[in-house]
Amino acid sequence: MSGNRGKTIVLWIFVIFGLVMLSAPTLVVLGASFTSGNIITFPPDGFSLKWYAKIAGASDLRGAFLRSLVVASICTVIAVPAGTLAGIALSKYAVRMEKTIQVYLLLPFTIPLIGSGIGLMLVLGNAGMLGQLWPVGLACCVINLPFMIWAVTASASGLDPDLELAAANLGAPPLQTFLHVTLPAVTPGIITGALLMFILALNEFLVSLLLVDARIVTLPVQIYNSIRSIITPDLAAISVVFIACAAAAIFLLDRLVGLDIFLKSK
Amino acid sequence: MKAARTAYPIRWRVMDALEAVAGILWPRFFRAGTPYLMLAPAILLVGLLVLGLWQMADASFRTLDTNTFLLSEDYSLANYKRAVTESLFITVAGRSLVGSIIVTVLTLVISFPYAYVMVRTPSATLRKFLLIALFLPFFIGQVVRAYGWLIILGNQGMVNEAFGLIGIAPMRLLYNYPAVLFGLVQYMMPFAVLMLAPALTAIPEEIEAAAGSLGADWVRTFRHVVLPMARPGFVGAGLVVLTLSLTDFAIPAMLGGGSQDFIANAIYDQFFRTSDQGLGATLALLLVAVGSLLVGLVFTLFGAGTLAMGRVKA
Repeated sequence: MSGNRGKTIVLWIFVIFGLVMLSAPTLVVLGASFTSGNIITFPPDGFSLKWYAKIAGASDLRGAFLRSLVVASICTVIAVPAGTLAGIALSKYAVRMEKTIQVYLLLPFTIPLIGSGIGLMLVLGNAGMLGQLWPVGLACCVINLPFMIWAVTASASGLDPDLELAAANLGAPPLQTFLHVTLPAVTPGIITGALLMFILALNEFLVSLLLVDARIVTLPVQIYNSIRSIITPDLAAISVVFIACAAAAIFLLDRLVGLDIFLKSK
Repeated sequence: MKAARTAYPIRWRVMDALEAVAGILWPRFFRAGTPYLMLAPAILLVGLLVLGLWQMADASFRTLDTNTFLLSEDYSLANYKRAVTESLFITVAGRSLVGSIIVTVLTLVISFPYAYVMVRTPSATLRKFLLIALFLPFFIGQVVRAYGWLIILGNQGMVNEAFGLIGIAPMRLLYNYPAVLFGLVQYMMPFAVLMLAPALTAIPEEIEAAAGSLGADWVRTFRHVVLPMARPGFVGAGLVVLTLSLTDFAIPAMLGGGSQDFIANAIYDQFFRTSDQGLGATLALLLVAVGSLLVGLVFTLFGAGTLAMGRVKA
């Protein structure tokens, strides 16, 4: 049918355009990191790993990367229990003022990032807590918390409440019911949420920029500060660290829960 | 004794002890409060944001004393007056608003076919490939992506070098409005596709087949069946893209090169360049108000759609 061929052609023109646009920066950064020249040129000057050797020896970049990992870990450690409990409470119980609580918990998502960042900067600054890493992790947790709650509610809605009643009926006290029935049922959501929180905090730029000072810059801020001057391949090599982390997160997500869950209708 | 121990394993003893502790800390008659106890940590965390808004509101009523570089003790509306009358802020606000609307339209146009093919393709491999291509930039972060565009579009960048090879003079592709909008569309596409996909999954394929067998060609099927039925997805995606691109900082800063500032950049400058915390807080609050107004308007008109986080309504 020629009609269907037209549909396929039109759709694929858009899809290929989208694919190129999505992938071009990643591929170019990957390619540029392997150049043997001192500046990034096209076509590339040849293949070498010297920029990786250079960043491995740069203590400021290594420090920034470690700090980003610390921030992401703190964020995940706070977000997982808080988001899991809230997600289960919202999806299982008839909570009074449910609408209000939902809108309230969506605030981190509806308040623009620059607004949240400035607000948290004022709060943490007035409390004298700036200049350390854990407030940055805490801030990343606050601004991304809806992602954790969404992930948990999405899998908690698949849990049949009768299962918990059955467990209680068989004599399981509340804590055991929670640990052996409720929690395993929402585990896919917890894994998805935890991965999202970790990777979003690892990449978080604006809130980091507002909350860190020169001594504790995180890696995205470090890259941003270095970009102003000339574009050299060492930045491409350090960016590949992010690409590797993203690839690892996608691999884990696919292995543990399957990427297809993002296509499911609610 | 030994037999008794195996009959009642250590794990059970631990669980019993935990149950007893839980029973003491949270007795039975508190049971009705359990969901609120579970919600408490999340509510406290978000409370930090509310506290932040409060402190911003306080700062927004204080003007900067240019002699001491401290905020005034007494309250006034002077900052708000400056924010809505100074031409710099009006220009920046207009640029952000127009830009975010263009970005939203372009992003939805490009994302819909991508989401459609991803949901409808019979090939699991292709679906996975499209998903990975979508998640990779999503998980890489704005700074690295913008850096990639700097390499591609810079004056000595790939595109200009390629132009040179075929004899076209290098052009300035960066640090202008279209570059910022292009970068924003690329940044927003994963969000839009991920919000559209569930809405498209919810449309049964048979309905499209039915429209086809009733004589509609694919264009008419799309226009009269698929697009209207995917409306919740378009609402969610449009809202997310509009608010995120209206308030973005990194892309205008890196691809605009200081000449294409959006609102977020103007706010940042007030805090870190001019050190006028009062005016900065005022601008940030106004942005929060506009953003919330947009979200509230869409929620009341169309419902929370794919953004809802509560129980599934029967």
